[in-house]
Amino acid sequence: MERRGPVSRLVHIVPIVLTLLLGAVAPAHADERLVLVVSANSKIEQLDSLEVRKLFLGLTVTHNGYRLRPLLNEADPHVKEVFLQNVVSMSDITYDRHLLGLALKQGRTQPVVFHDIQSLIASLASDPNAVSVAWLKDVEHDPRVKVLRILWHD
Amino acid sequence: MSFLALLRLLLFASATLAWSSQACAQHEHEHSSSEFDIFLSAEALRASDHVQRGDDDPWFAADVVFALTKHQFRIFGEYFVSAEEHDLERFQVGYEFVPETTLWLGRFHQPGSAWNTEHHHGRYLQTAITRPSIEFWEDQHGLIPQHITGALLESRIAVGQEAAIQFSSGIGAGPALTPDGYEPIDLVDNNPGHHRLSITARLAYLPEYVGATSAGFLFGHHELDVRDPKVAQALIAGRANLDVFGAYADWNRDPWRLIAAAYYVRFDPAQASMRESFIAGYAQIEHQLAFRLTAFGRTENSARMRQSRFVAMFDDQDGDFDITVRRNAAGLRWDFARRQALSIELSRVDALTYRANEIRAQWSAAVP
Repeated sequence: MERRGPVSRLVHIVPIVLTLLLGAVAPAHADERLVLVVSANSKIEQLDSLEVRKLFLGLTVTHNGYRLRPLLNEADPHVKEVFLQNVVSMSDITYDRHLLGLALKQGRTQPVVFHDIQSLIASLASDPNAVSVAWLKDVEHDPRVKVLRILWHD
Repeated sequence: MSFLALLRLLLFASATLAWSSQACAQHEHEHSSSEFDIFLSAEALRASDHVQRGDDDPWFAADVVFALTKHQFRIFGEYFVSAEEHDLERFQVGYEFVPETTLWLGRFHQPGSAWNTEHHHGRYLQTAITRPSIEFWEDQHGLIPQHITGALLESRIAVGQEAAIQFSSGIGAGPALTPDGYEPIDLVDNNPGHHRLSITARLAYLPEYVGATSAGFLFGHHELDVRDPKVAQALIAGRANLDVFGAYADWNRDPWRLIAAAYYVRFDPAQASMRESFIAGYAQIEHQLAFRLTAFGRTENSARMRQSRFVAMFDDQDGDFDITVRRNAAGLRWDFARRQALSIELSRVDALTYRANEIRAQWSAAVP
């Protein structure tokens, strides 16, 4: 009977271990849903994809005569990655240069960046014209904000 | 209080407000906001022949941009400081009538320039280190007036489901023609006057309303008051017209970008025998690589510039600028940290009076 050496056994074991590890990691993002959120007091009922993209690309978007204010959620790297890929459709470097370009060209204000979800929710709740994106699990039970729609799901 | 003193006060107040508001941006009022950015750069140059560091190659430069937005009103300024100069390049007060249609009053960059309306004075957003010669600023002995004081209308109108038409037009007082080149209106210093009408415009098509790709036509008509006695004598007139017709394309599709422009420039003094024209253009291609590297190459070319007496009027005796007839440049940029980049550029320059090889290195950044 042929006996397998330690290297041969490793060749068989490593893919199995990797598969198990990946399987263990994947569920962390499996139920994630990126949603569009506004203050619970906001009169905004819905924004279409073009309006959302215009807003986060620094262009003027109004609702009932009021200018909407985008707030950037960078509370974790994955939310930023999903936002860049699915909302503004730009790489990190291109998006940053685009916003800087608008500031340089016309003095347009860049969106305020939040690195902490609680600060983001507090700021969102205090301004009926503010709009942001967040994981559904972070905002669905918070009475201060309301979810407009799902922008992306796993 | 004089107009200049009032303007300085307004400038100081708006810059201070923009800076202080930026510091507490997270608490800003829902209907007002501010912006305060500094674009920094430092550059080193080595060149063959007798080429020396020029006004376009300051060893250090800072471009300060500040803005305040309140409802539909905006105040916006750009102050450029380098080892050689400091100047309030732009100062505009605007009102946005409807989303993406704004009327500005003040000193602005004329919209008939493909490069300058995109990059302005900051170096960080400009992938290449050098700018095309035909897009030089007035104080670099640029051949086309770039700063106008008056009214600027900017508008972007949706066309169909995704596309847009962008229209910009500026009208106001343009630069006078002096022994040192063009002299635009200075907002923070004295003006000897002699500024006449400039009308400029851009009409562009954007395949995507929110996209960065656009292509269109550029126009400029400048009535010049000649303040150089020698030039006035040569022209047998104290006035001349300069007309600029151009076309451009700025194509962006990650990881590629192409920006190209061509200008037909017609100089028309009162003396008919002095009328002449020339053509100048450039194309720059950029490609984003791995490790946040960007490779770029640019070619500039012209026709009838070398024979032009108008172009020769801008020839400088102290040699601190080049009127480039032809240039081929290539380089690499590395965005090594957030909002910081290192760039290197090699170029072969064919100027009015010499040829040279140049190598430049630059650090550029945007703060915050």
